[in-house]
Amino acid sequence: MKNEHVPAQEFPMAGGGRLFIASTYAHDVVVVEGSVLGGPTMLPAPLDVIPGLAAELLDAGTPKKKKSVIREALAGRGISLAFSSSGDRTFFSGRCFPEDLSFLLGTISESLNEASFPEAEVKNIKARALGELAEEKSDTRAQAERALTELLYDPLHENYVRPIKDQEKSIVTTRRLHLQNFRKILGRGGLVLAIVGDIETDSARAAAEKAFNKLGEGTMSAPAKHMNKKIQSTEEKLIPIADKANIDVVLGASLPLSVHHQLYHPTKVLTDMLGGGFSAHLMQTIRERDGLTYGVSATLAGLSTGADGYFKIWATFSPQRYEESIAKLRIEVDIFFSRGLTETALTKRQEEIAGSYLVALATTANLAASLHAIGTLGFDLSYLTEYPNIIRAVSLEDIKSAAELIPRHKLSLAASGTF
Amino acid sequence: MHSLDIPSLPVVTGASFVRSLEGIHEYRLDANGLQILLAPDPNALVAGIMVTYRVGSRNEAIGYTGATHLLEHLMFKGSDNFNKEKGGTIWELLETKGALVNATTWNDRTNYFEVVPQEHLPVAITLEADRMRRAFLKEEDRLSEMPVVRNEFERGENLPMEALDKQLWALAYQAHPYHHSTIGWRSDIEQVPIARLKKFYDDFYHPDNATISIVGGFDAVSTLAAIVKEFGVHGKAPVAFPAMYTEEPRQEGERRAVVKRVGHTNMIAFAHKIPGATDADLPALLLLSLILSDGKTSRLYRALVDRAIATDVSTQCYQFRDPSLLISYITLAPRVKHEVVEKSIKQEFKKIIAQGVTALELTRAKRSLRAYIASRRDGPYALLSSLNEEIATGDWTRFVTLPQALARVTVKDVQKVAKKYLVDDQSTVGYFIGMPV
Repeated sequence: MKNEHVPAQEFPMAGGGRLFIASTYAHDVVVVEGSVLGGPTMLPAPLDVIPGLAAELLDAGTPKKKKSVIREALAGRGISLAFSSSGDRTFFSGRCFPEDLSFLLGTISESLNEASFPEAEVKNIKARALGELAEEKSDTRAQAERALTELLYDPLHENYVRPIKDQEKSIVTTRRLHLQNFRKILGRGGLVLAIVGDIETDSARAAAEKAFNKLGEGTMSAPAKHMNKKIQSTEEKLIPIADKANIDVVLGASLPLSVHHQLYHPTKVLTDMLGGGFSAHLMQTIRERDGLTYGVSATLAGLSTGADGYFKIWATFSPQRYEESIAKLRIEVDIFFSRGLTETALTKRQEEIAGSYLVALATTANLAASLHAIGTLGFDLSYLTEYPNIIRAVSLEDIKSAAELIPRHKLSLAASGTF
Repeated sequence: MHSLDIPSLPVVTGASFVRSLEGIHEYRLDANGLQILLAPDPNALVAGIMVTYRVGSRNEAIGYTGATHLLEHLMFKGSDNFNKEKGGTIWELLETKGALVNATTWNDRTNYFEVVPQEHLPVAITLEADRMRRAFLKEEDRLSEMPVVRNEFERGENLPMEALDKQLWALAYQAHPYHHSTIGWRSDIEQVPIARLKKFYDDFYHPDNATISIVGGFDAVSTLAAIVKEFGVHGKAPVAFPAMYTEEPRQEGERRAVVKRVGHTNMIAFAHKIPGATDADLPALLLLSLILSDGKTSRLYRALVDRAIATDVSTQCYQFRDPSLLISYITLAPRVKHEVVEKSIKQEFKKIIAQGVTALELTRAKRSLRAYIASRRDGPYALLSSLNEEIATGDWTRFVTLPQALARVTVKDVQKVAKKYLVDDQSTVGYFIGMPV
């Protein structure tokens, strides 16, 4: 095992699901990451809040078991379990002791199959969801991030995030029946399950098959991806919020690029060269040299569902130095693209990505998350071990081609704080 | 379940073996008293190194609050043998090889760490040894780094919970330096002189005030030899470390803090004075904190979130070297009055004081702690980080003994600590009030 740092195996599941199991040297820790098809992007806009509300209540009771029975049984075993929904999937994330894996998987399957959404719980979750949206109204980073997607995407694209007031209306009009109907369409369709940690592969596989073979087939299928139709232009949106000591800024551009695009990995490396850590160009200049920010990073976002994503720079600035900071940031982005694409910089970044990948996989949770992502994005299991080689195979020519995809002179900007 | 594979103990001249507990081997560097903890894992491909200095914002005073943290930032500006001029910054040598590189500061300690593909561990050891006593501390670097730290402070100020937390500690502690947060007061961040930072470095950054922990995949003998060689060049501190002798006077009544800011968030925080981490009551207090708000079956979750008067609840039992706080943080649901939630929380506290907790609740809390204990060894960073916090309390062996102490806690113990510490006169209540836009 020592020379095989990712001892993962894949098994087919009934209905076309993918099961990944990695028996690692972790002690007394088992992590489960999984998902089935069914999420907000599969529903029309006014209904897109339903999957998130439903996910929160999947462990809140079935016709046979009250919420308290389910939750106390989990807590009594020291199991943590959370459901969520985004993109085109409903996710579950659990952590348990080795002896409780069957119980955890059985509870997940039972919740997906039989959740009943008691009326009182629906009322409760709506109130909490409205509360969380209210809090978001004065969260500078959340406001800037939300605004950027509005600038970059047409409203039908899955990376577009609707205005808060629209989401609030949708939550208010959601009824129990909506959640029940949504739950009925969840099933084994598109099931991806990763089990990692202190487990025996055969028994984990048996437990997974036993639990999820009970799950209905479901009626969801992955919809064709809607490519962004919004024409890129340089737009700016400022969201003023009083009493804020810091301004959150995001600059970005949508890209005609998904994780399956031939330039995905070069674009990932390029973005990391610009803003992927302390040694990257933006941190070395905007923070280390100019002292303008605590943090500035560049990332690719909106890709996790297989959609065409976007390039994003996030930074925080003092209100007193906001204008100066934005100007410097734009200059450094330009300098990077015009002078920073060198063989030396590329090689350094390739080694960093390959090394940090190894470091990241040293935890049970990260390995489980990686396997689950491989499953949902449709990659072969070999991607787990091949990833560093794929990164190292990126050439400078690839990087320059990737740079052509990013309209660096047409980055839109959204910022929130006290101006 | 897999068993823990514990290799044999390394023997290296210059390092004296102290003890070995559950696969963690303690040594003392003979030349200068540096504490060394080694936790080798033959199955790991990644290694982690952390140097923990027993200095934090607890060692600061008016005029230089935040100095420990600002100094931590300056410690990345280079040292005699690792700097830009020599082409060998930590970022160039380690981050570009994939290392997780960072440092953190808190009340009782400051730590510097690297998690690296194991072939890069020797460089990390050499670098940490160099900056222990040979760090550059230049005025030009303070001038460029101060706005960075100030922006970190500003980021925190944007968060209602952080803003409320600062006021809570400032009110609960009037004499003891837990009064101020680790980031410090803004004016001190902006104006602390470089000479004060240098003095702070010279006062506290010495091998006999530090612990180096190395975990994960590494050869124990050669690594211990490297530590002896690289850190052995430093002498002990030339004078005694400045003592922090201030004790917080006894609190004589409930205190109340209010923070009003424009926005939509409303919060309450309840803080109660509790003893330091090594006190015998701490295990029961930790379990009490879990019973209060760990997960959806906890007391406060059911009383507040399940009733839709709060959207979130959490309780922290802060385990510090000196007497600390048990704090419950509650985010209110829209249009719910602070007073309503405060009344509900106080009722829950009274119930526990009067009736105690159930055996089932205690069992659940202990299972939750078993999960936490397992997670402390899930990867090099988790182990380093957990050891680091125990080192900060003054006794790293608590990493091993605390689980044993937790196992012995009874329902009576939990009720006893609830009666003893959930006392109104020893509490500080904080309101964060979102004002209309």
